[in-house]
Amino acid sequence: MVRVGDKLIGYATDPDVRSRGASGGLVTAVLAAALEKGLVEGVVVLKRIDEYEAIPVITDDVQEVLASGGSMHAVPVNLAKYAAGRKIAMPGKPCDVRGVIEQAKRNGVDLESTYIVGLNCGGTMHPVVTREMLVRMYETDPEDVAGEEIEKGKLIFRTKDGEEKAISIDELEDAGYGRRENCRYCTVKIPTSADLACGNWGVIGEVAGSATFCEVMNEKGKRLLDNAIDVGFVEVRPADGKAIAIREKVNSAMLKLGDEWKERVFTGIPDQERLTYYMEQFADCIHCGACKEVCPVCTCGEDSKCTMFHSLADNYRMSMYHMVRLLHLSDSCIGCGQCSDVCPVDIPVTSIFRRFADPAQKKRNYEPGMDLTRPPFLEVMLK
Amino acid sequence: MTDNEWEPKIVAFCCNWCSYGGADTAGMGRFQQPSSLRIIRVMCSGRIDPMHVLNAFLEGADAVLVTGCHIGDCHYVNGNYKAEVRYRFLEEMVRELGLEPERLQLNWISASEGEKFANFVRDVTAQVKQLGPSPLKPEGVN
Repeated sequence: MVRVGDKLIGYATDPDVRSRGASGGLVTAVLAAALEKGLVEGVVVLKRIDEYEAIPVITDDVQEVLASGGSMHAVPVNLAKYAAGRKIAMPGKPCDVRGVIEQAKRNGVDLESTYIVGLNCGGTMHPVVTREMLVRMYETDPEDVAGEEIEKGKLIFRTKDGEEKAISIDELEDAGYGRRENCRYCTVKIPTSADLACGNWGVIGEVAGSATFCEVMNEKGKRLLDNAIDVGFVEVRPADGKAIAIREKVNSAMLKLGDEWKERVFTGIPDQERLTYYMEQFADCIHCGACKEVCPVCTCGEDSKCTMFHSLADNYRMSMYHMVRLLHLSDSCIGCGQCSDVCPVDIPVTSIFRRFADPAQKKRNYEPGMDLTRPPFLEVMLK
Repeated sequence: MTDNEWEPKIVAFCCNWCSYGGADTAGMGRFQQPSSLRIIRVMCSGRIDPMHVLNAFLEGADAVLVTGCHIGDCHYVNGNYKAEVRYRFLEEMVRELGLEPERLQLNWISASEGEKFANFVRDVTAQVKQLGPSPLKPEGVN
């Protein structure tokens, strides 16, 4: 029996899952066990297409969960919307988890029947940029790559004939590659708002690379893990002090780096030039609505203010669509970066939204997606 | 005033139960005030969606005023609290957008405060005249 707050080292009992999973296959096994025992009706897994592409699918087949893609750094899809209206278990980066919680606040997701296994995340990469990076920086054919890994600040690619090449992430990012911009300044690396917070930070010694550090965050996490142990899919043992300390150290190093990036990305635009800057950026907008469609915190559906009150016939200096979205997201933007990813005309939507959201959230000491107790603050009285 | 002097366009959202009455009182008391004001009557300041304010700017308003009952006096218990929460939010947004903060103002005015209403409008008009036309004004609107 595990308890809430426990910090454990665990791995899948099935040797095949254990060796194939990124770090011991614990997450895969926990998800499969939840399905096996009927705790949930489906599990969201990534179905691998190639090294840079995967589609999230909801499956009720245990075998399919066990054979899922595992963790992929070059697939920055946010899974939050897959949880809406279903009884599922899902793995998730901190931004996926925060998205689900923001959805739950707006009644998009029933958290009681949704189990989330959080994964530590230091950042994800854009698939197209990754391919380009492989050619330019690694001098490797993207099709030859068989696996990637981030270790000790280095991004390592393994080719099909077993060769490994590592370049430090700092070097890559200085050259314009590496992690997506929003991941660089992201403030949540360990998903403490998930039910279980898992990752390979703090896994040391003989189990390094073949086990997962797992923190039980709440009752649901306990249920999830107990269930996996009962079915015999997972084995755990308490993490020692050294492991916990190392996990903390990695986390704080990542956060510090994030703060540095924040300063680099959000250089102040002088007062007089700001309006022109925003107008020029949004002038390229073709009003496809993709940024709204992928947004993990938007729950408006089709009848949303941003689209309903926006007309292309208006000759406004700045589109009503973006004005409403700027306002709506100021209290809930989690900085997942999906909007920038999908924008067909490359408007830096995420960083513009963050310019509005960051000070507003900081001022109210509000971190969206971190707990259920604080509702979205634009919709309620604060006093 | 000369004929060719620029007159700002100011949109005021007025609560039916207080500031709309206040505007009425200002008229009845014959307080001099500029003609730059366009009043939009709402049943409560809590009805004012931030979107209304943004739309007013996009349609060519040089300034937008949000007015309502004094805190504690709301006809619908707490509409003006809600209005204030949203207003604080909008205020930050307008600032971040790079619009001058004087272009968006909040004031609590009761039905009996005709003079306060007239003075408020006069002040805002003077401030906006200094600033000039809003940079968000669409082409062809003056």
